[in-house]
Amino acid sequence: MSARNFRVAGQRLPRMDGIGKVTGKHVYAADFTLAGMLFGKILRSTRAHALIRRLDTSRAAAMPGVRAVITAADIPAVRFGQAVRDTTVFALDRVLFMGHPIAAVAAVSLEIAVQALAAIDVDYEDLPAVFDMEAALKSAVLVHPEWATYKALPIIARSGNISGRARIKAGDVEAAFAGAHRVYEHRFTTALQHPGYTEPRAAVADWDANGNVTVWTGTQLPFDTQNTLAEILDLPSSRVRVIVPGIGGGFGGKLRIGVEHFAALLARKTARPVRVITTSEEELTHSYPRQATVVTLKTGVDRDGHLLARQGRIVLDCGAYAGSGPATAAIALQVLAGPYKTAALALESFAVYTNKGTSGSFRGPAGPMANFAVESQMDMIAADLGLDPLEIRLRNIVHEGDRGPSGEVLRAVSIEECLRRAAAAIGWDDRKPAPGRGKGIACGWWMTTGGSSGVYVKINPDGSATLVSGAVEIGTGAITGASQILAEELSLDLADISVTGVDTQAAPYDYGAQGSRTAFSVGNACLAAAADLRRQMFAIAAAQLDAPVEAMVLRDKHVVAGDKSISIAEVARISRLSGGGLIAHGTAISPSPAYDPGRLENHPLPAWNTPSFHAHAVDLSVDPDTGTVDIHRYVVAQDVGFAINPTYIEGQIEGGVAQGIGQALSEEIVYQDGKVMNANLTDYKMPTALDVPDIESILVECASVAGPYGAKGVGEPPCIEPPAAIANAIAAATGFWLPSLPMTAEKIARELRARRK
Amino acid sequence: MSRRILNVVINGERHELLIEPHWTLLQVLRGQIGMMGTKENCLEAECGVCTVLLEGKAVNSCILLAGQVEGRAITTIEGLGDPEHLHPLQAAFIEHGAVQCGYCIPGMILSAKSFLDENPGRQPTRQEIREALAGTLCRCTGYGKIVDAVAAAAQRMAGKEPTP
Repeated sequence: MSARNFRVAGQRLPRMDGIGKVTGKHVYAADFTLAGMLFGKILRSTRAHALIRRLDTSRAAAMPGVRAVITAADIPAVRFGQAVRDTTVFALDRVLFMGHPIAAVAAVSLEIAVQALAAIDVDYEDLPAVFDMEAALKSAVLVHPEWATYKALPIIARSGNISGRARIKAGDVEAAFAGAHRVYEHRFTTALQHPGYTEPRAAVADWDANGNVTVWTGTQLPFDTQNTLAEILDLPSSRVRVIVPGIGGGFGGKLRIGVEHFAALLARKTARPVRVITTSEEELTHSYPRQATVVTLKTGVDRDGHLLARQGRIVLDCGAYAGSGPATAAIALQVLAGPYKTAALALESFAVYTNKGTSGSFRGPAGPMANFAVESQMDMIAADLGLDPLEIRLRNIVHEGDRGPSGEVLRAVSIEECLRRAAAAIGWDDRKPAPGRGKGIACGWWMTTGGSSGVYVKINPDGSATLVSGAVEIGTGAITGASQILAEELSLDLADISVTGVDTQAAPYDYGAQGSRTAFSVGNACLAAAADLRRQMFAIAAAQLDAPVEAMVLRDKHVVAGDKSISIAEVARISRLSGGGLIAHGTAISPSPAYDPGRLENHPLPAWNTPSFHAHAVDLSVDPDTGTVDIHRYVVAQDVGFAINPTYIEGQIEGGVAQGIGQALSEEIVYQDGKVMNANLTDYKMPTALDVPDIESILVECASVAGPYGAKGVGEPPCIEPPAAIANAIAAATGFWLPSLPMTAEKIARELRARRK
Repeated sequence: MSRRILNVVINGERHELLIEPHWTLLQVLRGQIGMMGTKENCLEAECGVCTVLLEGKAVNSCILLAGQVEGRAITTIEGLGDPEHLHPLQAAFIEHGAVQCGYCIPGMILSAKSFLDENPGRQPTRQEIREALAGTLCRCTGYGKIVDAVAAAAQRMAGKEPTP
């Protein structure tokens, strides 16, 4: 890439929204208010599975200051959902989990709204419940007895409590197992993990005189939220406008509708603006945390540690509604194959309903869970065969032109470089046995989801450019990155680019802040818009300069043709007078690669677009008495294709690893009999500044074909490998693998004590 | 509920406010005055995004009753610096890539200011900075670049590096 001699792209420039964020001027959804606004609160079930025998809101509705109380009886009877349309706004005649919304109140103050919730009378009749995901596979208790009547995407295979089953198959695993030198079988479990965004989910809704609603919300997917709101409100989507003022983190937890619908329904009932914001307790009992899973792996190898066959199964606990569970479970299958050549695969996923809160697609959905299993088992196999953990990986990894699990041809494959560089940085060859100290390594791969992006780019008469995009700047710096690409292409500085806010009414479509794709897709759309703008500017300049278009380039904010030039600002002014101004619509879509459909069953994301590769290495100590893990060094080598802004890519890596350390060592939403036992941020343990070491990032640049300047998706991968890398290092330090996340000090200490006896 | 008068100095300006006795300082800042730079999240002093300075010391405004600050001086992020005159901490957070979503950043910067002001002229270690910031959760950054920013600002504030 250096041959292109970039001025703006690839540079460590400060993010465009930085000053607003450090001065407190950046407005987030939780900061947004309107005059005369009411405050909404949600009444939630206190039972895990029960019939609602009586629901009486009359006392609450009569309280001074209460402006509306609504229940399922007051709103359109609609079921919504991504893969399966199983979800209702409020419980109907039956609550499906503790925390299930039953009613909503709007009042003149938050205090009165809270008091009104206590005045709603609910009589329950408890029903048998199912909490264990494996039990749910065969349980007579159905979370949705009417499941067969629900609409769903045609690709989704469902049955009873199974909201989605998918498969990837290649070769003959049974024959391969029969001929294998050894066959290993292991079982792993992973826990429910909250995305942990620091801004609660918040929305303000207001209806205008023509029956249109505007919702200001911190959503990652404004267009998806617009559509879902339209369904719930029974309106054409053009009458629903979603504006994202600013968003205080999301990590996948703010993809699907959260509180927007409550605000919109209450605002419609009261004819007043209504704000709804979640509490930490609501976040930990009813949000979209990373699903808990059970993964079983059976892997056959030859004498030299080559993988011959793998049978894998992931069971994923969706909670009471499918949410993104069916797709998440299916994505796990590619992760279970890993960045490895394995001739025979039989991989199967089950997304299952239980009587618990709905879960969702937290950053790298299914990635860390499946990777934890695969990469822990790789080390177990290496240990059994007496192989170096790095060596067994190098013997099995994919290379350029190899086929992936769906039969797709893999391009820009860099896993070997990632492994070697991470290993070198951590001092892999210098692993002197020291009691209680060990190094671990893990690697993986992940997709760059495509999804289409549109942008409008306008050149202003002062020579600056305005980027109009429906893409949400969730914090990654993706919009700064896309703007760097735009500035590069237009020969402008980053300071010449301004970005409008996200507004579904004004902005072109964008697939949303998800799937490691914002900088990638919006960057590509900016490339397309810039190419169009060059054509427009060159046509105007041709007349002004009396020069052929073919001779023209943009250089230093001018259209240049040989020794003649005209400023972009002047061209923009001419265009205003003669042609309505310079504006372009750039679009981008990244189709998935060709694959072998014969390998797949019921898989909604069959083959990965522009995969990235990564390796993590860690050096840590385990306290022999307390089991406490102390991480000394943590190294990531990640293939980013092209580093559009290295500072914020490092930021993605460091933040993702911190989340992975949390998942590895401390984070778990603990359920007992359907009740969350730690619904506060003291007992739900996210890493603090004392729990995360300085993380060392190595940016590998193996250019992709599809990304802007060769970029690949960056955001999700860093949280995928930490649980496995840490598990392998703990094993190096202690001699045992803990197959259960989180690997708390308590679990480690218990195992250490058991082994001393 | 009976209201009472609160006299408080916020970012150097005197305010006379009518408050209810159970209101927190956070509620007054955001709800009464409309200063939204101080952020709201857990309301249980667990996450630190609501941190402000009370007579220069970092406090969680979400659990401080407004009545407790009668006659005292509060500094919020809006009082630290403005876009044309950034405080060295604010400038360092931008320069070192310490800002992502930014929601924890006002609290993080004020926690850092309280800490650095307690230790004037001395360059803190990274571990000391981490301890000082451990009460504020950040889910985006992994903290490393925040520690870099605070260390750089400490140097600049101690006069060891000129403000650009």
